[in-house]
Amino acid sequence: MKINFPRHIIYSIIFAISLIIFAVWFSTAKLIPMGKEYRKNKIELKKQRADLKRYEDYHDETLKMYNETRSKNRHIIEAFDTKFDIEQFKKDNKKYFINLAVTKSDKFKKEDWYEIYDVNTTSKIKSPVNFYDFLDALNKSKWIIGITFPINFTKDGELIHSNFKMKVYKKKSSDINSTTDK
Amino acid sequence: MYSYIKPKKKTPLTQEVILIVSFFSISFLMLFTTYGFLAYKDYKFEKDMNHIENKKQELKISINNLQNRIKFIEQESNLANKIYTTNSVLKDSISNLFDLVPERITLSKAQILKNGLILFGITPNKEIYEYMLEAPLKSIFAKNHTSFYQLENGWLRFVSTNYLDNNFEDLANEN
Repeated sequence: MKINFPRHIIYSIIFAISLIIFAVWFSTAKLIPMGKEYRKNKIELKKQRADLKRYEDYHDETLKMYNETRSKNRHIIEAFDTKFDIEQFKKDNKKYFINLAVTKSDKFKKEDWYEIYDVNTTSKIKSPVNFYDFLDALNKSKWIIGITFPINFTKDGELIHSNFKMKVYKKKSSDINSTTDK
Repeated sequence: MYSYIKPKKKTPLTQEVILIVSFFSISFLMLFTTYGFLAYKDYKFEKDMNHIENKKQELKISINNLQNRIKFIEQESNLANKIYTTNSVLKDSISNLFDLVPERITLSKAQILKNGLILFGITPNKEIYEYMLEAPLKSIFAKNHTSFYQLENGWLRFVSTNYLDNNFEDLANEN
């Protein structure tokens, strides 16, 4: 028995089979691997986003801690940043003494993060409390000042002369990251 | 021969061909759309990953920077508090020193050292010095030495040298 297909049907079948082959090849060779890759990437991206969130949370926590530390130590930070002014120091503290002389000592190394000043004071023998008030005031001053040994007290009639050295601390020049930055 | 039926116009776009072309057009449109979607997602993934990586690096640097600053502020704070404490201790020491000296003994000079105390003064006699000043000094300082010099009016000039132990010396050296 001879089946007689019209020619255009045969062409249509060949055309359709070619397209099906292409579609199958395209799906298996391109789309399926890309789909697998997409699913893998989606999981990886989710993981990376979670990781980033952890970093952001930790950063926020650190920033909060930094701001708290800064505000808690604001006075100290500003004191380290403030340049020492002899005249201002004398003005602030002359009320405790009859005479107050402050001179910068040459005996300090340039790399040190403090400067040394020689201090000579004269006060009344009956009011040593002024000297204690002066030491209390140092801890509240605009600068970080430490009194160093030796401290000499000499009696002169009704007066006491004292002389000592004080260290005025400043920020090290090597500290590039200024803590005053916002 | 003559046919009364009007001949059909022949065209390659038969109904079957149109059906096949429509079917495959829709199928390929869907395939290429899917391909385009996946290609875009792949590009977006690369972009997002780069962005996340950059952001993580920035955060790492920023966290490190903040931690260094916190550490530095804490160092400054510790140093400042240590200095404040030393000043307060010094104030108490000087206050105690002046309280320690009895009225009958007059000091002319006092030197507060890193690890000791040197007192210059006058006393009516050795006994008063020993009972009223040397005894409390001995209870504070580990080493004591006193020299006396006779004055014309019968009083004694003294130089009292007192040293603390090494622990105080270390504390004093830190200042």
